[in-house]
Amino acid sequence: MPETLLQVTEVSKGFPGVLALDKVSFELRKGEVHALVGENGAGKSTLMKILSGVYQPDAGTLTYKGKEVRFQDSREASAAGIGIIYQELNLIPHLTVAQNIFIGREPRTWLGYIDDPKMNADACAILGRLNLSIDPATRLNELSISKQQMVEIAKALSHDSEVLIMDEPTSALTESEIDELFKVIHTLRNRGVGIIYISHRLDELKHIVDRITIFRDGRTIATREYAAITMDEIIQKMVGRKLENMFPPRTNLPTGEKLLEVKHLVRTGILKDISFDVFRGEILGIAGLMGAGRSELARAIFGADPITSGDILMDGRKLDIHSPVDAIRHGIAYLSENRKEDGLAIKMTLDQNVTMANMDQVSKRFTIISRTQELQATQTFVDELEIHTSSLTQVVNNLSGGNQQKVVIAKWLFRDSRILIFDEPTRGIDVGAKFAIYALMERLSRQGVGVVMISSELPEILGMTDRVLVLHEGRLTATLRTRDTSQEEILNYAAGLNPEAVQAGLAAAQNR
Amino acid sequence: MSMSNEAQVLAPPPPTASLAVAPFARKLSLDKLMISLAFVALIIIFSLTAKNFFTVRNVLTLALQTSTITIMGIGVTFTIITGGIDLSIGSVVALSGTVAVMAANVGLPIWLSMTIGLASGVLCGFLNGIIITGMKLPPFIATLGMMMVARGVVLTITNAMSKPAPDAFGHLGNDTLFRYSRQFPGIAYPVFIMILVALAFGFFLRKTRMGRYTYAVGSNEEASRLSGIKVKRVKIVAYMICGFCAALTGIILASRMVTSQPNGGVSYELNAIASSVIGGTSLMGGIGTVGGAVIGSFIIGILAVGLTMQGASYFVQQIVIGVVVIVSVAFDQFRYQKK
Repeated sequence: MPETLLQVTEVSKGFPGVLALDKVSFELRKGEVHALVGENGAGKSTLMKILSGVYQPDAGTLTYKGKEVRFQDSREASAAGIGIIYQELNLIPHLTVAQNIFIGREPRTWLGYIDDPKMNADACAILGRLNLSIDPATRLNELSISKQQMVEIAKALSHDSEVLIMDEPTSALTESEIDELFKVIHTLRNRGVGIIYISHRLDELKHIVDRITIFRDGRTIATREYAAITMDEIIQKMVGRKLENMFPPRTNLPTGEKLLEVKHLVRTGILKDISFDVFRGEILGIAGLMGAGRSELARAIFGADPITSGDILMDGRKLDIHSPVDAIRHGIAYLSENRKEDGLAIKMTLDQNVTMANMDQVSKRFTIISRTQELQATQTFVDELEIHTSSLTQVVNNLSGGNQQKVVIAKWLFRDSRILIFDEPTRGIDVGAKFAIYALMERLSRQGVGVVMISSELPEILGMTDRVLVLHEGRLTATLRTRDTSQEEILNYAAGLNPEAVQAGLAAAQNR
Repeated sequence: MSMSNEAQVLAPPPPTASLAVAPFARKLSLDKLMISLAFVALIIIFSLTAKNFFTVRNVLTLALQTSTITIMGIGVTFTIITGGIDLSIGSVVALSGTVAVMAANVGLPIWLSMTIGLASGVLCGFLNGIIITGMKLPPFIATLGMMMVARGVVLTITNAMSKPAPDAFGHLGNDTLFRYSRQFPGIAYPVFIMILVALAFGFFLRKTRMGRYTYAVGSNEEASRLSGIKVKRVKIVAYMICGFCAALTGIILASRMVTSQPNGGVSYELNAIASSVIGGTSLMGGIGTVGGAVIGSFIIGILAVGLTMQGASYFVQQIVIGVVVIVSVAFDQFRYQKK
């Protein structure tokens, strides 16, 4: 029986309004690669943050190398030998490899200045342990992303880490870089390091994973030997629930009238020959994993990012879109994923945000703004969308997430948009507000607006849309009728697998 | 997050989140009140301690002396609201005043000479805007470059020498309106210009589309772009307004001296920025008012005059004004961090 390195026993963690982890148990052995999978919000990240000392558990225990531990912060965890590599690299581009590895604890000479030769030699030794040939004196930004990731691993190892947590380590890597990473993971495993490997890319697990634990809704659903479980079972356990009555009923059927046509849209390296239509009165979903190019597709249509080639047609007429100004003029609206970063002017007031995209409506003569008209228009939307605010001139930064989202929607409704592209419209907002936004999307589609919804929440895609596009690495891998599809099928296409390939892969796995 | 749980707790959203916000809005106006109170307090303190401070003559002098800082402060407020800065103001002051005097000296009518001077300042602002939006340079660098270039140009074309202007050139800076007696020596033209500039640009910033866009760009540039606002144009206009205000200042100063001042205006931009910032403009962009800039420059003006009458040296004034800048901005920072 292999030695247990880290044992999580019945750990719970709550945040206001949400129980993120509910009596979760998890075991990591010495020298294994243990995959952790689950949908967004299943609790993976919360558990990782508890293991790495960022959060403290509300209940339950952590046992590390036979002793019960409680890390007060990430320094304590990393000093104890638990290293974490986040999806976004935490390195300083302008420093050298060695300087990055030893940042904050540079070796000193007896005179107190930094001992560069020793630092470089030590860095060399650590990189050698990973079988990597990187010159420690290279500046980090001269390395490829995968090499930078190796440096991040080396940095974690320089703390003599015995547990290494990797959160979506392959999301930014190319195929060959992934192979390189897997080699390093093999090396580490052979040295007895326990590795927790979090990934949405189920297809890549077979190359490296020994055991797998599936999370759902903040609970541990199952832990299995990877060889003893099929891909189907994994996906079923990840999804594992029926859709509840949390979506408004759809009251209309989409028409066959093409509102928007996208033809052979290409943005070099990001979007690969994407074609699809949006029909009047339909809700079209766009699904895909992180980095699949969903937001990029929306931004390209909206003119926010340049496109390399391809056509966008509305009512059969070709549109000339070079900037958001053009797209807005043609009635296309994009409600971005990050409300605060690129959706709202958060220091400005509610009414100023609502009228921002359509000042012509409230400033007819000499471009002078009519406050009366502006406040009237805002009042209409505050009533119609039930925006909870203390006044029309409230600074939007002080509104709740759901109300902020409604302000963004009001902005585009005021513009009389014909196509509304919602990018993760319900992220970070509470349940009641979610329902209100779904109801609004339903109503818009009934009024003949083409609604496009990008979402990482598959239940939301299945509950709200008429059709769903699935993207994988910038390519459209499927256009599915929502009624005839399932989470499993969407996940497969999103992972770049088509159903036949999955079956073949499963057969191969069973013969292993 | 649990979907099944969510389905069970489907209930109207709690209204608490949006109701708990009113105090912040109240605090905002409180800050404006504080600055105005500080302003009034200064007047009272100096009136009580310096015998001749609150006299008609002194107030008129104060208004005249402060008019130029105010005009520059209003201009730079536009660039700061967009999230930028203009360091070239002092050089543009020298350049535009000198250009106007040179034009007058070759025999052009005074009004035309002054218009040409104004145009030179607007051109500098336009170039600033083009460099910042087109070449995507940080405003600090772009306007630092313009500060040197404009200064270099004015020194080159004049050989660094001041030249007298025709007498008629001096009317704008030295004549007054409503002169009744020795007790009331009249209000100088620059004071009227200041009031006009404040009203016009205050209206522009508060009431017009372009003014609204100025705030929007400074508050969130990407959101503005995605809302169909022509961000580049908004920024260029802000720098042109700043250039215009600097040029106006340059012409007023040249007119008061009735000479060109190629070496004048050095570090005026710093006073302008200080007055804007004291008046509550945030260097992070998105926040600021014309009224704030006016009060800010009058606080600087009153401190300068009041301290002089108290017998404090210019050096001491510098210390006091510096402390005021730091304290007022620290106050702002404190306010935003508490949020």
